[in-house]
Amino acid sequence: MKITFPHLGNVCFAAKALFNELGIECVVPPPNNKEALEIGTLYSPEEICLPFKIMIGNYIKSIEEGADTIIITGSCGPCRFGEYCELQMNILKKLNKKVDFIVMDVPSDIGIKEMFSRIGKISHSSSKSKKEKIKALYKALKIINMIDDIEADAHYIAGYEKNTGEAKRFLNKCKRDAINSKSADEMINILTEYKRKINSVEIDKQKKPLKIAIIGEIYTIIEPFSNFYIEDKLMDYGVSTKRTLSPSWWVKNTALSPLRINSLDIKKASKEYLPLCIGGHARECIGEAVIAKNEGFDGAIQIFPMGCMPEIVSKAILPTVSKDLNMPIMSLIVDEMTGEAGYLTRIEAFIDLLERRRKSVLFRS
Amino acid sequence: MYYLGVDVGSVSTDIVLLDKSFSVVEELYLKTRGKPIQVIQEGFKILKSKYDDKQITAVGVTGSGRNITSFLIGADAVKNEITAHATAALNIDKEVSTIIEIGGQDSKIIILREGIVLDFAMNTVCAAGTGSFLDRQAERLEIPIEEFGDYALKSTSPVRIAGRCAVFAESDMIHKQQLGYKQEDIIRGLCEALVRNYLNNVAKGKEIIQKVFFQGGVAANRGMKAAFESALGFEVYIPPHYNMMGAIGAAILSSETVKKGEVTKFRGFNIAQSNVLQSSFECDGCPNRCEVVTLEENGNTIGCFGDRCGKHSSKMTV
Repeated sequence: MKITFPHLGNVCFAAKALFNELGIECVVPPPNNKEALEIGTLYSPEEICLPFKIMIGNYIKSIEEGADTIIITGSCGPCRFGEYCELQMNILKKLNKKVDFIVMDVPSDIGIKEMFSRIGKISHSSSKSKKEKIKALYKALKIINMIDDIEADAHYIAGYEKNTGEAKRFLNKCKRDAINSKSADEMINILTEYKRKINSVEIDKQKKPLKIAIIGEIYTIIEPFSNFYIEDKLMDYGVSTKRTLSPSWWVKNTALSPLRINSLDIKKASKEYLPLCIGGHARECIGEAVIAKNEGFDGAIQIFPMGCMPEIVSKAILPTVSKDLNMPIMSLIVDEMTGEAGYLTRIEAFIDLLERRRKSVLFRS
Repeated sequence: MYYLGVDVGSVSTDIVLLDKSFSVVEELYLKTRGKPIQVIQEGFKILKSKYDDKQITAVGVTGSGRNITSFLIGADAVKNEITAHATAALNIDKEVSTIIEIGGQDSKIIILREGIVLDFAMNTVCAAGTGSFLDRQAERLEIPIEEFGDYALKSTSPVRIAGRCAVFAESDMIHKQQLGYKQEDIIRGLCEALVRNYLNNVAKGKEIIQKVFFQGGVAANRGMKAAFESALGFEVYIPPHYNMMGAIGAAILSSETVKKGEVTKFRGFNIAQSNVLQSSFECDGCPNRCEVVTLEENGNTIGCFGDRCGKHSSKMTV
């Protein structure tokens, strides 16, 4: 068995470490790029959302490198993500690619027995003892939490650093070194080292940088290629950003959801505007906007792929939120047809808007 | 002492010189024709004969070609079109609350309250109603674009044209022509369809209140102004240098950066004579595959951008 998986932000670090520890061969697809998108666009239905297309590109590249088993997460929610696995199996079958799919889903949707049988498929091909397997899983979880933490720190510090670009440089270097590491332990050591480095970046506490929350559809905000590296750009502009949704958030949220104690703060914050789960992360999007205001953020940017149902609903609600809270919120829609020039202009203009708004507020008081 | 503003747009490249009090002393309106560098050189050749490099205090650039231009001419302020247009409009009238800006390929709405940009939107999926589309229709009907708007004003009973999409609008216009409707009624109908399209797409959900400024190249079209006024129910103002507002805004913004005690980065009008070459390549250093653009002047690299990691752009000598 040679396992592969689609990219989702920092998941590749944890997945690589996990399969290494389990002694299962795995192929990490090349980072998302134009080529993956071109391949995906060629084989996918035209009107499907952007993440689907990039994922197909990932699979094809991995299959070229010998992968024969694909692991993805499933969903039985109301958003189109629930159809991903079935459609993707179909497409690869038509392309004559001989691959197995292992779709991980929560027990409430597929039953606990089915879930264990799916996990069993992976676990049986590992020759390690039970204890070692649990240890491997523990290390993978530790890695995903660490890398997401480092990333969040770097994004926040970027607004305060004395030497512009230091946080970004460390973050990029950290990711490069981590993915090239040989074992999970080595990766953890590298991450520990960079966490220290990023947190010792010289900062100027007197600075009052603009703070922007990144909200919206989970794939397009986590996977930098799909959003034209918006977080990197905001780091270059010296803006502090915060993004609540991340792979580690998702793991925690999914683990706590059977007990209904997941993301209580977000649920509470979104209650006034969207008290229901309507699929995807629409409720989270609204809740995060409200929380961002309470935490003193200057604005929020919502990103979602063209045709994303849950986020279209939240996009319609956000203007009211923005008006009530007196906080600008901009929505950006991405797909393979998005032109980068217009996209950049919007981001720049939004930053100018926040900056000028703040200046004149200072004048008045 | 002058402030130089350059707006390199999809259709036109505008160059202005402002004096200390931000009044326009010189304006050049040139067609970009997809060659931003040559057009700027052409413009600078004209300016060179009248002005001296030392007279330029600050330089600002805007428009879709702002990056390449900033390297070429050495800009103090590189700003997006939205901020530039808002700045220029506010300089004329502090009371302006809405700006309708329609250029060659973009249409925008900017909402201002008490002199601050509060919100903005740009066309995303459709370019119906922008300058290029009107240009094309004028050409097809064999009417000079300058007179296009006047035709619309002559109409007594406008025809309804489907304006959701530029291609369908054109088919519908042809259809109405075949049916024998009068040309001016069709043109008026087109203006109304485009205004409807603008208000329903770009300006959707935005509160348009007076005072409204209409700027950008399309503001020259009197038919469009009339159609906006009849749809909104109040007067729409067209500022005197409506097609230069981006460049004016850029010049004003540049004055702010230099005010902070910096010396201008202006590289002089002499670049009009330089041999400027631009080239691009796909970097194969990593799977990101960035498209890197380099700009060479007389054999020296003066600009390089497009790479995410900074491998090429950090090698810059300037």
